[in-house]
Parts: sequence; C-alpha cells; structure tokens
Amino acid sequence: MSGLLAILWVIYLGAEDPAGLIATLVIGITDGAMFALVALGYTMVYGIIELINFAHGDVFTLGGFLGLPLLGLFGITSGTKFAWVYVPILVFVFVLVMGLNGLVNITIERVAYRPLRNAPRLAPLITAIGMSFILEGAMYLWRGPVSLRFPNLLPDTVASRFTSPAGHFGLNSGSTAAPLIDIGVKDVAVVISTVVLVILLSVFINRTKLGKAMRATAQDRDAAQLMGIDINRTISATFFIGAALAGAGGMIWALYFNSIRFDLGFTTGLIAFTAAVLGGIGNIEGAALGGLLIGIIRALNERYLSASWSDVVIFGILIMVLVFRPTGLLGMRVPEK
Amino acid sequence: MRTLRLGRFAAVAAFAVVAVACGGGTGGGGGGNKGTIAIGVDLPESGAAASSGLPTLNGVKYAISKAGGSVSGWTLAVENRDDAVGGSYNADKGVQNVTDLINNNTVVAMVGPFNSAVGKAEIPVTNPAHLTMISPSNTNPCLTKDLPTCSYHPQDLRKAGVPNNYFRVVATDDLQGPAMADYAYNTLGIKKIGVLDEKTVFGIGIADAFQAQFQKDAGAGSFKRDSYDPKTTTDWRSILNGFKSFGATAIYVGGTDDQKACQPRAQMTALGIGSWPYLGGDGIQTSQCVDDAADSALGVSATTAGADAGQIPSAASTISDFKKQFTGANDYGAYTMSAYDAASIEIAAIKKALDAGKDPKKLNDFREAVRANVAATNGFKGVLGTTTFDAKGDTSAKIISVYGVKKEDASRVSAGDLTCGKAGGPNANLCFDWVKQFNFGA
Repeated sequence: MSGLLAILWVIYLGAEDPAGLIATLVIGITDGAMFALVALGYTMVYGIIELINFAHGDVFTLGGFLGLPLLGLFGITSGTKFAWVYVPILVFVFVLVMGLNGLVNITIERVAYRPLRNAPRLAPLITAIGMSFILEGAMYLWRGPVSLRFPNLLPDTVASRFTSPAGHFGLNSGSTAAPLIDIGVKDVAVVISTVVLVILLSVFINRTKLGKAMRATAQDRDAAQLMGIDINRTISATFFIGAALAGAGGMIWALYFNSIRFDLGFTTGLIAFTAAVLGGIGNIEGAALGGLLIGIIRALNERYLSASWSDVVIFGILIMVLVFRPTGLLGMRVPEK
Repeated sequence: MRTLRLGRFAAVAAFAVVAVACGGGTGGGGGGNKGTIAIGVDLPESGAAASSGLPTLNGVKYAISKAGGSVSGWTLAVENRDDAVGGSYNADKGVQNVTDLINNNTVVAMVGPFNSAVGKAEIPVTNPAHLTMISPSNTNPCLTKDLPTCSYHPQDLRKAGVPNNYFRVVATDDLQGPAMADYAYNTLGIKKIGVLDEKTVFGIGIADAFQAQFQKDAGAGSFKRDSYDPKTTTDWRSILNGFKSFGATAIYVGGTDDQKACQPRAQMTALGIGSWPYLGGDGIQTSQCVDDAADSALGVSATTAGADAGQIPSAASTISDFKKQFTGANDYGAYTMSAYDAASIEIAAIKKALDAGKDPKKLNDFREAVRANVAATNGFKGVLGTTTFDAKGDTSAKIISVYGVKKEDASRVSAGDLTCGKAGGPNANLCFDWVKQFNFGA
C-alpha cells in the first residue's frame, strides 16, 4: 500500500518536472550501483558463513586508498584529467587493486575469522568490528584525516542532456531552462561496470565448479566437507571475490566523486549492509536491488523532501520491510538449520 | 645554596637560548627570576585541524616574546594543549585539557579554545576555577548572549555567583551570517539562495543567522533550507538540484571544512552551477576547503568574525615583525593576530595584578585578580583595534571581513599571508583574498 503511494508520488513528480525526476533517478541509480557493489560482499560472506563482515566497508575504502598510489606510479596525480592513454593504465590498476584487496581480505579471514569458525557467533562479529577499526586506523595513519583528491580519469563527456521546462502545475515556477543534469559517460560507465560485475558474479556462482562449492558450503558446511569440498579454500575464495568487488567499488567511487577519506567505509558499509538486508541477505540479486533502491530513495528524498531526514527515511523503510517481510525483498538464502 | 642558584641561572639561560633560537625577544634577555607564570593554550593543533590551531598558537608565542619573555620579573611560558582527536576538534579532549591546565599551578590564564563547541564544554570547568579564557575565534553567540535561537544558555554554562571568566576578541556568528547576507543581496545581487548546514551547533547557528537577515533583505520565500549529515553524505547533487529548481542562484553553507562543507561545491560544476557564488562562514576559509572544492574553488567566499590584520594599516609593522620571527609558509593564519591580542590583554592583566602586589603562588587569588583585570579591560589598543569587554565578555570591536577565492600570483602565494590550496596541489594558486569588511560596532 505504502509502496503504491510512493510510486504514485513519483509518477506525479515525473509529470510535474520530467527532467528533474530523471536527474534525481540518475543520481540515485549511480549512487545505488556503488552501494550495490559493496552490498555484494556483505551478502556473499553472510551467505556462506553467516558472519556480518563489518570490516567489509573499510576494505571498500582500501580499494581507493590502494588505487591512488598505484596510479601515481604511472605519473597520474590528483590534477590529472581524462585522456585515452590512461584507459589501459586504469584497467590495469583496477585489476591490481582488486587482487590486492582480495589478498588483504583473505588475510583478515585467516587471522581473525577462521580460528573462530566454531566459536559462538558473537566472537567473530566482535573481531570483525575490531578489524574494521584496525583498517580504518591504518588508513588514517597512512594518509591522515583529510579528504584525498582523486584524479578525474573518467571522461566528463555528456551522453544526454536534460533541461527543465516550466512546471506544469506552477509548483516549480522557479526552474529555468538550464540543464538540470547531464547524464555523463561517467554515470553510464559506473552503472555498466556494476551490472557487468553483478552478472559475472551471478554466472560464476551458478555455473562454475567453485561457485557450486560455495553454494554447497553455504547450505551445509559439514556435508560439503564430507563430499570432498575444501571448505577453507571455498571460504577464502568467497572473501577474495567479495573484497575484489569492494576494491572495484572503492576505485569507482573515488573516480566518480574524485574524493576519498579514511572513514568513508564506515557509513557506506552500514548503508550497503542495509541494502543487503533490504534485498534479502545472502541473495546476490537482492543485494544489487537493495543497493539501487536505497540510492534512489535517498536521491528522491534529498531532492523533493529534505536531506535532514535521509537516514531516518532509509532506516524507517528498512524497519518496515523487516517487520512485514523479515527475509527481505527477494528472500534470504541462508542454510536451513 | 650555590648549586641551587646555578640551577636557576641555568634554567633562565636555557629559556633565553630557546627564545633566541625561536628568533625571539625584542625585549632581549629580560628573563624573569621570580619564577614562571604560564599562559595556557587550548587549540586544535593536529591533523586537518592543524591549519587552524598552529598559526593561532604562534600568535600567543609572539605576544610572549614581544613582552620580552617575562613580566615584572616573572618568566612567561606557554602551557600548550591540543584538543584535536583524529584531525577534528574534540570537546571531551578540550575538557581534559582545561582540567589539566587548572591543575597546573603555573597557569594563571588561558587563550582558547578555537571552536565554539569546545568552549561550550570548557566554560563549566574553568568558570568555578576563575581561570580566564580569551578565545581568539569562538564565534557562537550563545557562549555569551542568550538569543532566542540558542540551544543552550550562557548562564547555564557558568556557576551561579561566580563572575564571568570567558571573553573573546572576535565578533559573533549572529553578525557573520548577516554580514554575508548583506553581501550576497547588496553586492552580489542574489535574490534567491539555497541554505545548507551540516547539523552541528556551529553550522546551524550561522546558517540560521544568515537566513534571518537574507529574508529581511530579499523578502519571504527567498531561501530554501536543507541539512546533511556529514557522516553519511558523500553525494549532494540531489540537494543541489533541489536548490536549482527552487530558483536559487547561490548557496550559503553553514559549516566547517572537516564536516565536508566544501565538498558539495566540487559537485556543482557537473550540474552546470559551478559559477554560482558559494558562501559560508569562517569554517570554510581554509586551505582544505580550497582543495575540497576542487575545480570549482573560484567563487567560494567566506566571512571571518574579526578584522583582517592585513587590511589594517597600523597592524602592518606587527605582522612584518611576526613574519621575521615565524618564517614558515603556514605560520601565519586568520586568527594569529586575534590570539596575539588575546595573549597581550592577558599579559597586561597579569602585569597589573603583579604590580598590585598579588602573589602568583597564591594561585586562586592570583587567577581571580587576572580575571578581574581582564574583565575591566577598557580601550586596550591591540593590533586589530581597540578592545573593551562588556559584562558578557564580548568585545566592542565588531568587525566582520569577507574573503573570496581568487587566482593569485606566485609571489602572493609564497608570501604566506593568504589561505591557499595546499602547496604543490592543483589548487595551490587559488587563495582567499580580502574583499570587504562590515563594522557592526560603529
């Protein structure tokens, strides 16, 4: 019911000022795509070992932090602008960051979670929070408390321009004919890279042998082990992939906003975790959907209501969803016990 | 006996050496021999906040060296404390620092704090101890004035029956906001504006004051207000689009750079509104802000509560003397001369107390004597103007300065008296330059 009202409201807004609504949706979708990349890591780890990996948000930030000096090795500094020669370098740095991030996360799992795999569930949760603070502290010590300026390596080219006509119902008579938003190649690149990564991940989990092993481990760890699945290797692979996606997310985030700070991951992680729960934790498509929804809701709220309420609205929706649909929008995929 | 004397002499000599090493001492080797009196300092001095605190601390050090390092035979020292945690001012750390200063039996008065939120937490601790505080930069009016917009009240911060121990040498935010509102409306010709705050005591206070005056100037419905949570916000584009369809042609931000107040600016170019004036208070007149605004730094303007020493002809000689002693590129800042005046007022009050025969060893009596002398400050000729404190602790000099980011020549950048983007960075030649000043005291 409330969902229906919300949709009607959005349709009304669209009739009132189509360009304004499109602008808002574009912003929401790009932000949401980035939340989704982070949410995937939460959902994968939870799906397989039922651990909320609180350090994941900081692993995401680490992606951007590793990317900056690696780009520096190729002479790219914070003032560098987009040029085609940088594209192969960027791709190479992306791969490198994803790999490094994966290794960091495997190490975290090996040191802080694996020894506690059979301990009460609260124990690894606490070590996860600990790892989060350690990573954040390390990044703070490394680059200090300031926002780091990231090079603008994505093209500023405009793909499509939307201008705002005068309001149909006289409600936004103040609007001018100036463009409300330019959908840039930047926005398209962010969304496409997220979609590609989500599809690849989904195919990987559903079609490959290692993916099958992951699903089996998630369903029943002991039985999987009896069937000859190396569960340590499978869990390590899960952490590696989650962190690689987060690393890509961190790079995309930093390239998109041209700014990154050591504490970015704490709240971004919280929002992404919320997205994972909203979509149904343990569910890959659910995490992506949850991320997109949160991005869009946030943007709509900030554009048409008030940014003062952003977190209230998002977490209010989360509570509603969990009360009426505890498994999230697309349903949980966790082992039955 | 003899060895003890030698020890004392050594200590004095060591101080003199330190003072000379710092390039100091117009008064020369006048080091005291009756003991040490210290001026406490509490400022945010590390991380991102270092650019606020350290140049301000230099103002205190310079005042002491200008006094010859001593007063009436007593050696003057600085007891310096840093209230930044993780690069941002921290009220709890401030309380810890002033408690420490109160327990230090050489400290007779203090300069600080830098941030109003820290002042709010510290006054209840220093007030019962009669420890004089002169802030070089606290601009929240509620620390001294009980305005309707205040979320706390000055009398609640002070113990009943204890005289006021808190003073400031700068004008207050309730004037900073109106000054910028008048500047936006009269000078820039802005008719509609978006007002943004970052949900802090400082940010909301200054944005409210701006908004009230702008509404007076431009009429009802001339602004749209919004707030963001600096912890969870990284994308301001929807808020900015909201302002745009409201019909705004400029933005006023109530906030500080460490609460991301300048990051929305960087996102304005992509929305085609990078040419809008982006206005704010002293919290954005920082080099971090110039960097955070990235490609859109031009067009950012900020007010400072207080006069720009560089625009006061009579201050020129003091500033150039200061720069001979403090030669680093970032040694001089917007509040260096405020801190210099604050410390000078305290030194004068200490001298008056000593000359009246007060004994610094009787710590409580002496602190009260200094406090009473500071409170009675009348027509003190400082670098920034003439200071008379009213009963609430506010100064009679109510000057607000407006600064705008401009592209500067290399020679002006390297002179070090402007607030520019970080050296070596892409915005290194973009600096806040003085534009205009408003005097509300006249």
